[in-house]
Amino acid sequence: MTDTSSTRNPQAPIRADWWSKSVAGVVLGFALAIALSGLFAWIGPGGPAAVNKLQFVMWLVVPIWLGVVSLCFLFRSGRQAWLWLGGATVLAHTALLAARSPLLN
Amino acid sequence: MAIRTDVVRLYRQVHTWTGILTGLILFVCFYAGALTMFKEPLERWITPPAAVTPATLDRAEDLVAATRALRPEVRDFTLAVEPALAGEAPLRLTWTEERFDPAPWAATLAPDGSVTVEQLNPSGIGLLVDFLHRTAGVPGDLDIGTTVTGIASALYVVALVSGVIILLPSLVKDFLILRVTRNVKRMWLDAHNLLGLISLPFHLVIALSAVVFGLHDHIYDTLDRVVYGGQMRAVAAASSPFRTVSKDMGPAGMLPPKEFLTRVHSLAPGFRPVSLEYHDAGTGAATVRVWGHDPRYLVRREGFVLMGAVDGRIIDTEYMPGHQNGWSATVSAFFALHFGSFGGGIVRWSYFLLGLAGAALFYTGNLLWIESRRRTERQAKGPVEQSRATRLLAAGTVGVCLGCVIGLSLTIAAGKWLSGLVDDLHAWHWGIYYATFLGACAWAFLRGASRAGAELLWASAAASAAIPATSLLGLVLPGLWLSDGLIGVDLVALAGALVFAAMARSAERRALTGSRDSVWAAPVEHQGSAMGIQPLAHPAE
Repeated sequence: MTDTSSTRNPQAPIRADWWSKSVAGVVLGFALAIALSGLFAWIGPGGPAAVNKLQFVMWLVVPIWLGVVSLCFLFRSGRQAWLWLGGATVLAHTALLAARSPLLN
Repeated sequence: MAIRTDVVRLYRQVHTWTGILTGLILFVCFYAGALTMFKEPLERWITPPAAVTPATLDRAEDLVAATRALRPEVRDFTLAVEPALAGEAPLRLTWTEERFDPAPWAATLAPDGSVTVEQLNPSGIGLLVDFLHRTAGVPGDLDIGTTVTGIASALYVVALVSGVIILLPSLVKDFLILRVTRNVKRMWLDAHNLLGLISLPFHLVIALSAVVFGLHDHIYDTLDRVVYGGQMRAVAAASSPFRTVSKDMGPAGMLPPKEFLTRVHSLAPGFRPVSLEYHDAGTGAATVRVWGHDPRYLVRREGFVLMGAVDGRIIDTEYMPGHQNGWSATVSAFFALHFGSFGGGIVRWSYFLLGLAGAALFYTGNLLWIESRRRTERQAKGPVEQSRATRLLAAGTVGVCLGCVIGLSLTIAAGKWLSGLVDDLHAWHWGIYYATFLGACAWAFLRGASRAGAELLWASAAASAAIPATSLLGLVLPGLWLSDGLIGVDLVALAGALVFAAMARSAERRALTGSRDSVWAAPVEHQGSAMGIQPLAHPAE
């Protein structure tokens, strides 16, 4: 699906890599959006239980998710998309686990 | 603005694919969505006038008590306040047996104090238009349709972003220019860019909120598992307006309806109550939601204040305009921006026009796709046949788009003719729409895009003209009538008919005199005999 040469050469044109970039954007973008919205729910103003904040958090998922999907084609290759989005997703979920664990029984 | 050409090329492909996959679904959503802005006037246009004198709320208390005595099992019902005061409907209690019940029940009070319960039979045009808007007409369960439009809306967001990216490099040069020349591709591109750019904020708001409306169940499920550790129901329940209401189901008396309105007025003088929605009436847990508008705020269609029906205490104002916390007010604003339920008539008309413009955006998008895949005679040095994909998309575009237009106009006009003649007007509305829509699609594929395009445009003009024609006939024919104060419905339909007729004429002209190497050119074997005019472009052929 991807090769390694383009990642070493910053001057190379952007590879299309339609499938790998689309899947990375849709799947990892969604996972990242859930984690970032979740972080906002737990460490954002009001804490997770503020009245009707849950609805706002749900609304937050969509622009983050689709923003990632829209812009993920800017990655130089599908491999780059998976590496960067994957890394960001793992980081965000780790942060979410750390943020929410002390508050749950 | 400088953007690398390879980026632009990439995003042009993103835009093409997302656009072509969703264009037809979004056309139906937008055309029906524009009509949802005026579904109440449409419903009244179809419904025979009934002699209703504006009521006061003096007898509402007797009505509630008598209905409770006759039907003690009905504990959840609504008292429409505004329509009764305005004389649009009698003073009555209504209730439904399911969420989208086309035929609700109603209890009215006779002068002698006895209660009559009957099943209402509203025309249901509002429900149909709403369903088409939310599902694009995908039949079956509402959840399936809204998931389909939710996914289409997600692709639509990507199409908007990619469209802006590919437009940026030429933005200054091409902005607000419409070049109407022989180069039809240039013209459709200019029209498409113009429509898209000036309504971009509207489209972004509509697209993002439509994704939420379509996919919120799935997002909530994921949030529950990943973010709230399975505790989301508890978090949601803690936000519910009903969270502090007791579960006392023992019998208890309730305050008279007017008392709730008095208390709401002292809480928020600018709030205009529309209806009272009772829950668990006659028990210790009885509540009343006073629904209404406050034009000074961005609210969902309507806001409400929750009161105890027994003691009239204010229980919750989290959905009351001007009395919400920041989170609730922000989310309400998102809803209001989608529904256009703010700013009164100007915003309503703007949303109607923006909705139609959106439909035109998707239509022109498909035309562009067809034009940019055109095989030209100049390149091929001889007569050409357009590709199968282009011919199919052209037929699909005219069939689906015009099928939706004809179906809606026809079912509205027919509603007035059938009103009072048939028992289940609601079912007729759906039957007429789907039969017309599917018929138009079949016609487009059988006849080919160029002939069907002009023919279906004439049919659109005729179906739209049938609406004011029905009103005019109402002056002379028994069984029809001219609806009071709804001349706007007839005028808009007449304007639509004129626009469709003009489009039909120009489609015909293009089929005959436009360039031959186009999907819209009249088919060779029929063009002379069908219209009696020889094509001008290539008289030798």
